[in-house]
Amino acid sequence: MPSSELLNLTISELAPLIQAREVSPVDVTEAALAEAERRQPALNSFITILHEQAMAQAEQAEESLARGEYLGPLHGIPIGIKDNIATGGIRTTVGSKVLRDHVPDEDAEVVRRCKEAGAIILGKENLEEFAAGATSNNPHYGAVHNPWGLEHIPGGSSGGGGANVASGVTFASLGTDLGGSVRLPGAFCGVVGLKQTFGRVSQRGLMVTSFNGDHIGPLTRSVRDSALVLQAIAGYDPLDPSTVPVPVDDYSLVLERGIQGLTMGIPSNYYFEMLDPEVETAVRRAIAALEELGIASREISVPSMEYAGALRFASMADSVVTHEALIASHREDYGPDTLYRTLAGQFVLGRDYSKAMKVQRIIKEEHARVLQQVDFLVTPTTPLPAPRIDAQTIPVGGEQQKVRGPGSGFISRNTSPMNATGFPAITLPCGFSEAGLPIGLQFIGRPWEEGTLFRVGQAYEDVSPSRGVRPALD
Amino acid sequence: MPISDETLRRMVAEYGGFELSDAELELVKPELESYLAELQNLRDLDLSSVMSSRLLRAQEGGEADA
Repeated sequence: MPSSELLNLTISELAPLIQAREVSPVDVTEAALAEAERRQPALNSFITILHEQAMAQAEQAEESLARGEYLGPLHGIPIGIKDNIATGGIRTTVGSKVLRDHVPDEDAEVVRRCKEAGAIILGKENLEEFAAGATSNNPHYGAVHNPWGLEHIPGGSSGGGGANVASGVTFASLGTDLGGSVRLPGAFCGVVGLKQTFGRVSQRGLMVTSFNGDHIGPLTRSVRDSALVLQAIAGYDPLDPSTVPVPVDDYSLVLERGIQGLTMGIPSNYYFEMLDPEVETAVRRAIAALEELGIASREISVPSMEYAGALRFASMADSVVTHEALIASHREDYGPDTLYRTLAGQFVLGRDYSKAMKVQRIIKEEHARVLQQVDFLVTPTTPLPAPRIDAQTIPVGGEQQKVRGPGSGFISRNTSPMNATGFPAITLPCGFSEAGLPIGLQFIGRPWEEGTLFRVGQAYEDVSPSRGVRPALD
Repeated sequence: MPISDETLRRMVAEYGGFELSDAELELVKPELESYLAELQNLRDLDLSSVMSSRLLRAQEGGEADA
């Protein structure tokens, strides 16, 4: 099979070929490394490409297959890891100059689990500085470019992962999502991005982040692949008190259950406000397609979202505490967007932090109530398609919205609320703008019910206008 | 509800925060203005009855006790 064809397979298509020894992990890894090198000048999606380590892992994967040991669907599959997730013995910069030479002693739990499942770590992926923004325009390692339009952002902060999965460099990437940082690159790069329930996946080894609301989640080319990766990384970690010992479903069985009897909730407020018209059209078409598939729909209301802006008080204050020591010792090494956005957090009063926690509680309870009436919610993932890299502001709804730095946050207005509730959410592609940029559809589910999102996502994927369409890179 | 530069400087000094030059204060302000706008939005929201835990009737979707 030619490498271009091989690299465009999904994990669920490639895994049986590897298991049957029709495709070698060494050949797949060599092809992926070559593609990574070929795309790097245009996409700038990696901070570190792991040639030697990846090939050594691939050879081990090959040897274990020869011994008759098949570790499962990630065996021999090249994946990327966002560079704020610790990799033992491998530089992990968090996209910063401050930590440019930092080499962790051990792997993050998710990396350990991926390796145990046989995955090949192809490289450490570029991101927003300290994962603190939605653009992946990094002041130290350069901007990541969107494979659907190289002058556009891939979304952030896990932009390298989104670009790599969309362009056929990696088969999956592990990103992190504190306000939408997996789902935004998923939407802007036209791939599947999952933020599972808070507590489902260990955060141990996720560096320089908030105590509240961060999640490590997969970017993949299909919903089934998202389920495969979640299956590998989900589960209680006794060394991470944020994980919860809730049993993990067998998602391969869940995906067989179909979508009969499901009801979707369509929010009448907040999520469909302030949208680019092309996004609204694509998402309404997707809702119509879901109805044609047999999913019942019901309009729902989440009035408390009027106060969703208060959720940022907590993240502002958390951010300054998270960065306090590093800013004290290396302030001059910070880029201005992250530095001044972070330093604003020192003015947040404890009283207002407490108010934000109460608003978070109201929003969480309201979504929980609504999700007793319906099985999942459907919303646009982002208010607009990917802005240009050089854009400082974007016009939406007659107003100019900041794209990055202090005062920004518009791009993540539909994703960040589920970081506050901890409820699972997934984005998948639902078509394109006239300029050929992907548009994302978001499903929000009940806690621990990622399986419902996978079932609906898989059904929609088959009828999505994005099905089978890939970015036209040279 | 703007906060003056002088107030911000006093907050930094009295609470042991990171000092900011005049130019840096201007860079921080868009984030603070967003914070203050949201505070204003919360002004009429009564949060006094929001408890650390409340009973929800999961099957019925109704709130049992406030």
